[in-house]
Amino acid sequence: MATSILDLSAPKTLDGAESDDLRLVESLRAGAAPAYEELLSRFQQPVYALALRLLDDPSESADVVQEVFLKVFRNIGAFRAQSSLKTWIYRITVNEAHNARRWFFRHRRREVELDSEPEEARNWKDVIPDGCISPFDAAFEREQHVMIEAALEKLSPIFREAVVLRDITDMSYEEIAEVLGVSLGTVKSRILRGREALRAELAGSLKDRPAPRLVPKTAE
Amino acid sequence: MSCENAQERISLLLDGRLPAAERENVLTHADACRECGSTLASLQGQRALLRKMAQVPVPEVVAARLSVLASHERERQLARVNIGERLRRTAANIDLVFENLMRPVALPVTGGLLSTLLLFGLMMPSLSFSHQNGGYDFSTAPQGSLVANPWDLGADDDARDFPIIFASPDQAKSDYVNIVNLTIDESGRVADWSIVRGQVTDEMKDIILFSHFVPATTFGVRTSGTIQVRQSLPPCKYTSCSATVRG
Repeated sequence: MATSILDLSAPKTLDGAESDDLRLVESLRAGAAPAYEELLSRFQQPVYALALRLLDDPSESADVVQEVFLKVFRNIGAFRAQSSLKTWIYRITVNEAHNARRWFFRHRRREVELDSEPEEARNWKDVIPDGCISPFDAAFEREQHVMIEAALEKLSPIFREAVVLRDITDMSYEEIAEVLGVSLGTVKSRILRGREALRAELAGSLKDRPAPRLVPKTAE
Repeated sequence: MSCENAQERISLLLDGRLPAAERENVLTHADACRECGSTLASLQGQRALLRKMAQVPVPEVVAARLSVLASHERERQLARVNIGERLRRTAANIDLVFENLMRPVALPVTGGLLSTLLLFGLMMPSLSFSHQNGGYDFSTAPQGSLVANPWDLGADDDARDFPIIFASPDQAKSDYVNIVNLTIDESGRVADWSIVRGQVTDEMKDIILFSHFVPATTFGVRTSGTIQVRQSLPPCKYTSCSATVRG
């Protein structure tokens, strides 16, 4: 049962990844166009996903992602390869998200969004139904996402960062320690407490919901 | 193993951070304890849900903005690495600034220049300029004081005996039969005339119609003036003439 999901695989060898990083960094310093494309193709999605989970605001996340890549491009000369490129970029992302959150709480907390209906704000392409999954599955999945996003939002930013980096971004404890600039023990503690808090939030939200009323009906 | 210890280790168990022996202990406890088993199962489900949330597509707008950003930053990086590239970039920037500066001005300036040329081209034939008339010219000093020029009607010797003079209107006029006041405009032509005494003879009419004068000037600026033409009894000898143009 439980063993089926356990991550028991041997730690990956980093030599290949490190040499890839170094090659990419050197190409970026030389101004090679493919290197810029490669960096974006490797990191724009995970960085956006991380920013989105940390901030829970798509427009704010887009700004943060742009700021992150601007910093990466401008400071690539200062990258000393003491950590992996991924860790370095994620650290910048976490810091930028932290700054954005602080700025948000200072300046935009009292703003009221005019377009409060997300369905209306979407592009028409986004609302075309996808034929791959059934509407029930899609609705169920979306419901789950909404619940988790709401629960994540209620977490303390410290625990939220740790849980997101571990469970969504799938980083190792050592990488998380580097990204957050804390010890390994602190990372373990934050992940444990963060997961517990998230579980409690989810359990609470499920408990508060009214039970679905299913009425049996004969097919005509 | 107590429930408290097991629950603290479940998180590490999920991440594969427990030694083999400890892992077995926790799993055994979770099988036996309903609460710990439930915690393990719910954390597994929670983690699986969180994993799914990693697959967020980057919006097209964001991707496009990042591509533009990368392109700009690459240009910047190239300029930093290569001096030639830096110069080229600087030249391109200057060119761009110059173009942006001049483009709004270029069309109005060209249009204005062309319309000015067209206007002057059309007006040129109708513009009149003062004609120099050799020995018939009269001139004044800047304050309008009298400057006399010899009256010369040309090579005709008979005409030189015609007793006609030009004089200042305030000079004594008792010796003359016909006196006419001429008003001279800024271009030196006769603009008007009036008879003071006698009549307008043919010679006077010729003067009115065909003579050209150097107009009076005030502080170097041309202005209108008055001159008096006096004629004694005809026919007699022409005399030398003098003129006054009063500004």
